[in-house]
Amino acid sequence: MSAIIEVVGLEKRFGTFQAVRGVSFQVDRGEIFGYLGANGAGKSTTIRILCGLMTPSGGTASVAGHDVASDPEGVRFSVGYMSQRFSLYPDLTAMENLDFFGGAYRLARRARLRRAEALLGDVGLSADDPRTAGAMPGGVRQRLALAAALLHGPQVVFLDEPTAGVDPEARRTFWRIIRKLSDSGTTVFVTTHYMDEAEYCHRVGLMVDGALVALDTPSGLKRAHVPGRLFAVRGTGLDVARLRELAGVTHVEPFGAGLHVRGDLLTAEVLSEAVRAHGGQGVLVEESAPTLEDVFLAVAARSSAG
Amino acid sequence: MIDLVSLAAIVRKEFIQALRDRRMLAMLLGIPVLQIIIFGFAANLEFNRADTVFVDEDRSEESRDFLRGLTAEKTFLAHGVVTVAEMERELRNGTSQVGVVVPRGFGRRVEGVEAATVQAFVDGSDPTRAVAATAALEQYASRRTLEALRGLGGVAGVARVTFEPRLLYNPSLKSRLFMVPGTAASILVILTTIVTAMGLAREREVGTMEQLLVTPIRPLTLMVGKTIPYAVFGLVDVTLILVVGNLVFDVPMRGGVAVVYLGALVYLVSTLGVGLLIATVVETQQQALMVGFFFLLPAILLSGFMTPIEAMPRWIVPLTYLNPVRYFVAILRAVLLRGAGLRDVAEPMGSLAALSLGVLLLSAARFRRTLG
Ligand SMILES: Nc1ncnc2c1ncn2[C@@H]1O[C@H](COP(=O)(O)OP(=O)(O)OP(=O)(O)O)[C@@H](O)[C@H]1O
Ligand SMILES: [Mg+2]
Repeated sequence: MSAIIEVVGLEKRFGTFQAVRGVSFQVDRGEIFGYLGANGAGKSTTIRILCGLMTPSGGTASVAGHDVASDPEGVRFSVGYMSQRFSLYPDLTAMENLDFFGGAYRLARRARLRRAEALLGDVGLSADDPRTAGAMPGGVRQRLALAAALLHGPQVVFLDEPTAGVDPEARRTFWRIIRKLSDSGTTVFVTTHYMDEAEYCHRVGLMVDGALVALDTPSGLKRAHVPGRLFAVRGTGLDVARLRELAGVTHVEPFGAGLHVRGDLLTAEVLSEAVRAHGGQGVLVEESAPTLEDVFLAVAARSSAG
Repeated sequence: MIDLVSLAAIVRKEFIQALRDRRMLAMLLGIPVLQIIIFGFAANLEFNRADTVFVDEDRSEESRDFLRGLTAEKTFLAHGVVTVAEMERELRNGTSQVGVVVPRGFGRRVEGVEAATVQAFVDGSDPTRAVAATAALEQYASRRTLEALRGLGGVAGVARVTFEPRLLYNPSLKSRLFMVPGTAASILVILTTIVTAMGLAREREVGTMEQLLVTPIRPLTLMVGKTIPYAVFGLVDVTLILVVGNLVFDVPMRGGVAVVYLGALVYLVSTLGVGLLIATVVETQQQALMVGFFFLLPAILLSGFMTPIEAMPRWIVPLTYLNPVRYFVAILRAVLLRGAGLRDVAEPMGSLAALSLGVLLLSAARFRRTLG
């Protein structure tokens, strides 16, 4: 497989503030590439540079063979972009929006109407839906935005938090479409706040404060960043400080309503004894598989400490 | 430079959006008609009559005759004979605009065929009226003199020269005929500049600009595409204004309609272009509105719409060459009132066309295709 996105030492400064700090990575053709990071980590900024919407302050980036700084026109024809904020016309219907954006990509009218109709079908919308985009519920609107990003058959689509604020069922539907896209050879570059969604990605990059601090497959990331056995601890009166001092425990992180405790030599029995001994009540300890959330917490803790 | 497929898509989209937005439609089509009617009636600079008081210090047959004659002039609306103090009060509080004082000895001097002086006080705070009243007073005085000469039988040997002025195009000097074209140009510039400036700023605010920028639409295509639909609405407005102007204010159409529309089209491209140019320097709709008015006020005031450009200070005149309103006011007046043809208005038309092209190209050049 050949790389379709190549980023080397990419930087972006806004005045004195550095939003992206020397990021390098490659994305392969047909890959689903996830980009994870807290608010303000620099995810959208990276995407905007890769779409030719912003000029980099340093480093180089090329998409589908076009350098983003010197050939933004080539980039425009090769990429589809779905921005974080809904940015189709709220006073136009689905079909009118697609008609317009198809025209913007210089597709002939007849051809683009046919293509729009087919795409709307693919994302589960109807071409003669009389609603304007502004009147559609969030999930439907996001699928419409995806269809708009795919009109001109781009090699790469950039989806910036496509499922933010959308209900779980709609999120699952959306990810089914993403997987189909990838199966048909389109490269998908997607950012998300939902760790469960990141599991669907072929590879995941973690951004912390503008830097790419980890990049691997989900299982690779877990192996590298969440070593040892992982236990989910639930109950009341859990004493985090005391648990951290326990022999064999390497990490204790709040997780959901309870804690995630890691250690190499731990067993569930030993751990639950210890938790009770330190005042825990109604304690339930189960070994669990590490999630990307654990990876994220581990990496973020290390990055902010270092 | 311009891609036709994209252009057609932009034009279609702008039309759909404008026609779907009732407030926008009301603004585009209703307001111009309303404004032309209101301004047409309000913009009445005609000097009808001046309220006049008389002070007769002579109290002679001659002085009474002189004042009676003056009262008969339809220009002066006599408020009666008063004292000097009363006259001063009337002038100060604005009840009267003209005070005529016939001094003692007037009758004797006229009788003795000597030069006699009559004093007139004219309220200069309204210059138009003051100038007209002064002219009417002078006319009256010279007529009296001529009559006196004739009475003496002495006109023989005096070569008498009189002007016989004939007013062309607007013989009754109706200011409305003069004001309606200016008002039309002003309404069009306000509407089109604000609508486009706000429209593009709105795309930036709402976020649709970001989606637009990621497409290969070229700036000039975008600018022209955003101009065409509003130029069409503008031409509809021109039609409405001409019809209303004709029906309500008797504004004639002496020249060719085609010339008016050609001028209007070129004018609209320039004013829409200015709106787009404004949108390239602002971030929000509010800023667009502010910068818009910053352009509109001087553009209208320096258009020759109310004050002739020749009467403006020297240093300001070059600025008016960059003002599209100036050229359109000139074209409209020439064609509507003087029956000018395309050849007659070639100069303002050419200047306006150059200005339109310049503004449109400048706004396309200034339009940034990136967010930062
Ligand atoms: N145009 C801009 N001017 C100045 N600062 C900016 C600009 N765009 C982004 N930033 C700053 O750069 C940083 C990174 O922003 P970015 O939008 O890339 O973050 P993000 O990872 O997408 O966050 P989120 O999850 O909130 O979308 C933020 O601190 C943001 O305030
Ligand atoms: Mg973002």
